[in-house]
Amino acid sequence: MPATGMNSALRMVAALLLFLISSLAYSDPAPDFTLPADKGEIRLSDLKGKVVYLDFWASWCGPCRKSFPWMNDLQARYGDKGLVILAVNLDKDTAAAKQFLEKYPAHFRVAYDPDGKVPALYGVKGMPSSFFISRDGQMHSAHQGFHDQDTAGLEATVQSLLNK
Amino acid sequence: MPKSITALILISVFTTFIGGCAYQRVQPWERDILAQKKMSLDPYPLDTYLDEHIYFSKENSSGGQGVGGGGCGCN
Amino acid sequence: MQLKNPKPIRQALTLATCGMLAGVAPAGSVLAADKPLEVDSAILFYSETDRVQAFEPVVRVRKEIGEEEFVSARVVIDALTGSSANGAIATATPQTFTSPSGNATYQVNANETPLDPTFHDTRGAVNAQWEKPLSQQLKGVFSANASTEFDYTSFGLAATISKDINDKLTTLIVGASANFDQVSPAGNIPVGLTPMPVFPAVKTTTDASDTKTVTDLMFGVTQVINRNTLMQLNYSFGSDSGYLTDPYKILSVVDGGTGALRASDPYVYEKRPDSRARNALYWKMQHQFTEDVLTLSYRYYGDDWGVTSHTLEGFYRYELNATHYLQPHVRYYRQGKADFYHTYLIDGQETTLKEASADYRLGDLTTTTLGLKYGMALGEGSEFGVRLEVMNQSGESDSPIGVMAGQDLSTDLNAVILQINYSLLF
Repeated sequence: MPATGMNSALRMVAALLLFLISSLAYSDPAPDFTLPADKGEIRLSDLKGKVVYLDFWASWCGPCRKSFPWMNDLQARYGDKGLVILAVNLDKDTAAAKQFLEKYPAHFRVAYDPDGKVPALYGVKGMPSSFFISRDGQMHSAHQGFHDQDTAGLEATVQSLLNK
Repeated sequence: MPKSITALILISVFTTFIGGCAYQRVQPWERDILAQKKMSLDPYPLDTYLDEHIYFSKENSSGGQGVGGGGCGCN
Repeated sequence: MQLKNPKPIRQALTLATCGMLAGVAPAGSVLAADKPLEVDSAILFYSETDRVQAFEPVVRVRKEIGEEEFVSARVVIDALTGSSANGAIATATPQTFTSPSGNATYQVNANETPLDPTFHDTRGAVNAQWEKPLSQQLKGVFSANASTEFDYTSFGLAATISKDINDKLTTLIVGASANFDQVSPAGNIPVGLTPMPVFPAVKTTTDASDTKTVTDLMFGVTQVINRNTLMQLNYSFGSDSGYLTDPYKILSVVDGGTGALRASDPYVYEKRPDSRARNALYWKMQHQFTEDVLTLSYRYYGDDWGVTSHTLEGFYRYELNATHYLQPHVRYYRQGKADFYHTYLIDGQETTLKEASADYRLGDLTTTTLGLKYGMALGEGSEFGVRLEVMNQSGESDSPIGVMAGQDLSTDLNAVILQINYSLLF
């Protein structure tokens, strides 16, 4: 148990530090990761040159159900301009995620992180959370939750990053 | 009311003990179980409502769980 | 800890709002996004051996009107029939009482606890509630309720504000409520501790009706302990003022030596204080094992009438499979009597005492309830449940005097509770 305690304490410190830094200004590269995905594996740094909308979700998260149709629409409209939506599932049991996807199909990239390593790295504070990553791999900004009234602002951020 | 103070102390100690031993900071993405309906504090509000109504009319004590039950001439 | 393979229905029942602390998040808000109307209904049959029978249907409708914003309405009908203890003690000879209306009499057999058979009432109650997110961390729940029965009306308002702190692992709650009630008893309000007249004589009354105000203030904390455990601690303070007496309850007046009923005016109307201050401390814990859920709660209650009580309650939700569960329920309640509780009065006490009541609900009392609920998911958001419970109340009386020795003065009441639930989403 002490190892796990250490580990979670370290993770907390890392998350806290990242949060503190990131909330001031994102002028750092987005932390890189490799995760199993819908098709093989996906590595964030391989997406350099694209604008990445990094979303963290789970099957049990209510607002996530609302966000999926909207993300499908966003991907359809901005995909050819260079937008990649990458939705990282955080269910402990990936089967739950697959069931969710049957009901709410995703027309964007989906990756799986059942151990929650990546959200710890990004300092995710709530579900869903999204991070905007510019074409050069820099962290631009973050957003927590998903409300209808936020969508216009989220889309504006995507547009501004695509035009950079 | 010394008795009520004793009860308060007992509950505080008990709560701290149970809570302290088992406490683990739950990350936002680890709240799958807590998000289930059966883990909400009042998953069956009608059961609670009817029980409170029964015991309100059969016992002297009432309250504790929340506010706003509504009155009746049954007590 | 890994979840067992989730099944579709279990998934459907997994209602969540991630933006809020799970547990205090309004259940159903997720599915409400897809199907914005929840209907929850129940029918309760309550049956006491030889006494009160109640039939109580309830319907609750809840609708999402904005993001995380809900309105709900609850309608209840409560139909009561049967007999209720009037407070007098059993005696070796038959007794005659004047009915509360003052227009009739009723007889009670020798050696039987006097029950008032005129007890029947239908109560209608409505409640409207508005759940409104006030900010990212703040949530308000505002409600109004009104109820009416032939001799009683009640109107109340309540508000609860909760605030998520500590990354939504902790929620602070503050609540307040006020109820304004009016009692207009059959035969008007009797003067407390004055004799119950023998029909056709008429009792002395103060007024046709009187009022009562009930206010409550609550402070609570909810804490996520770990991935499977949630804990709640509430303190509440209540204050009642006005007419708190039961206008239909009486006390027997006996000879202090023989224990026999006083020859003239053997019964007097009860009288309670016109205010009461209540304190309650409530603790609750919910823990999920692999799938089963254990809920434990304890309440301490104390008021300035001298009543203290302890309530222990436990539920264990045992999952039979993905869609069915069994839930045993145990409840144990024990209260100590009010300062002015008297099983009977000794001749003369009715003039020296300021207050007195023989209502067993103010005496030393133990309630034990055992129950079992069976629940079944019928589809997405739709659920059926039935529960059967047995309740026993056993009250202790003051020591008998003289001829009372042969009588059973204590309360022993048994009741059966049957409830059927059905909920669905539109």
